[in-house]
Amino acid sequence: MQFFRYSKSIYGGQEQLVGASWDLLPWFVAAGAAFIALHALAMALAKARARKTQRQDG
Amino acid sequence: MDVSPTRKSQSADTGERVARHHLLDRLYHWLMAVATLVLMASAFLPILGVKFQWLEMHWMSGVLLAVLIAIHGVRAVLWQDWRAMMIGVDDGRELCRSFARALGFGGASPALPGKYDAAQKFYHLGMAALVLAVIASGLLMLLKIDTPFWRRDPYWFSGATWGIIYVVHGLAAMAMVTMLMIHVYFALRPDEWYLTRSMLRGWITRKEYSEHHDAARWKA
Repeated sequence: MQFFRYSKSIYGGQEQLVGASWDLLPWFVAAGAAFIALHALAMALAKARARKTQRQDG
Repeated sequence: MDVSPTRKSQSADTGERVARHHLLDRLYHWLMAVATLVLMASAFLPILGVKFQWLEMHWMSGVLLAVLIAIHGVRAVLWQDWRAMMIGVDDGRELCRSFARALGFGGASPALPGKYDAAQKFYHLGMAALVLAVIASGLLMLLKIDTPFWRRDPYWFSGATWGIIYVVHGLAAMAMVTMLMIHVYFALRPDEWYLTRSMLRGWITRKEYSEHHDAARWKA
């Protein structure tokens, strides 16, 4: 996986930075999906814990 | 913030509504959402293989977003309580408490927030940084295209500097995809639905106000 995109001038010479690599896009999407999954899981567990405590108290 | 009695009760409580977002702010939010979605579609669909004339759509919605953000900034500073969105030491502590409790470590409950809670403030700060980066780099990139208002002049910067500008634009745009996913997720969560409704209709109920907010920190 590349982090950046480079191109070579038609006249040759050094490669030049032309932007961020679009290969990173799926990783940004995966980061969002991972956050959502972890948050949803944490909230579901917290709710289950709260229900359990409520049952024990009541 | 004003409180207006309603004809129909929206909840099991007194039926009073607390105004949360003025019409102008809601219009701003949804126009910004449309501009952002058009920007993302015109940026990423061609990369994913959907070919169409994306450039005009992209720069025009980019300029619209820049204008909307400028209006929002001026309005927030001059006519709104911008301090409500400022992050303080308390917010860091409240966020840590929320994390600890969500992960089952227990500890003190987070205190009720003012109009915006700590997570919303940190999210706003992150999104503001990304949007400003994408707009600043995008406005510079306009120098490379012909529009009805100006002729292209790509010689303002060296090739290496253009490379950095494109990297900033690309990385900030991709990070905005992550942030947008998180935003939509929270907007759709049932426990946050009252906030989504307030962005559609402008108000929350008095019961929601007293359950979720500290009246001393957000006087409604």
